[in-house]
Amino acid sequence: MKKIIDILPLTIFIGLIIVLFSFLSEKDDQLETVLIDSTFPEFDLSSLSDDSRLLSKNDISQLPALINVWATWCIACRIEHPFLMKLKDESSLTIYGLNYKDNKEKALELLRRDGNPFEFSIYDFEGRLAIDLGVYGAPETFFIDKNGLIRERHVGVIDEKVWKDKFAKYLDE
Amino acid sequence: MNKLLFFSFLFFSLLVKSSTEEPLNLNNDVYPFENEAKEILFYSLLVELRCPKCQSSNLAGSNSPISNDLKREVYELVLEGSSEEEIKSHLIQRYGNFIVYNPPLEPETYILWFGPFALIFIAIIVIFIVRKRIIK
Repeated sequence: MKKIIDILPLTIFIGLIIVLFSFLSEKDDQLETVLIDSTFPEFDLSSLSDDSRLLSKNDISQLPALINVWATWCIACRIEHPFLMKLKDESSLTIYGLNYKDNKEKALELLRRDGNPFEFSIYDFEGRLAIDLGVYGAPETFFIDKNGLIRERHVGVIDEKVWKDKFAKYLDE
Repeated sequence: MNKLLFFSFLFFSLLVKSSTEEPLNLNNDVYPFENEAKEILFYSLLVELRCPKCQSSNLAGSNSPISNDLKREVYELVLEGSSEEEIKSHLIQRYGNFIVYNPPLEPETYILWFGPFALIFIAIIVIFIVRKRIIK
């Protein structure tokens, strides 16, 4: 009995180390979003491709839809770009872009060169709509269901796996 | 003698310093306020709010683009006359409880608030048992 008590602290210590290490390898830095099941925030911003075209919440009208927060300075967005193109071609979803704190010319150039998966891109140079959406890094993607409610948010690159795990189920509803 | 000289120099250098020192408002040009109460509120909020990108730094200690945007947001809300609670809940509605270093007491945050006490409680029990065994 005494022996067990002698090694107890060490056992607990090793156990603690194992538990903490398992948290370390968990690469989940996703913050929970508080916007689930709420409607898209109001906004008044111009279109990326056309300064004179003012966009508001009502312009996000083709539902269900994805809202993708992107920028040319965001390398991960470029990795994601081909998947968005594929999604646009192969699904019934409409994808809207939120161009985030970006250089307008560079952004338009990228869309010309690599293709434009977006119905339109909202030009959020000051990052104001992004704050209302709780965005903290690009790329971020929101799924808006046919009733206009935000159902899912993903921070980081969307690929085949993320799409299947997190988003596809909402499209089947 | 040397000592006396040294301390008198020290004393006078302090006097010089305090007379030339400007009020420490280095950021005054960046975030001007019409009154001191708002300024105090602004800077206290920057310390209490957390940068969502860096995750272990407050807004005051972060220069990331998102932190600067949030500073601007807080600044504008302070200018509009929002209270501390209003500004915090404004940001919690967008970024969740993560954004504040002082999370509210909810079932989800019970482990944050009560976890440490539970650990202390367990530690006391363990110490108690071990001591008893040793005395035996």
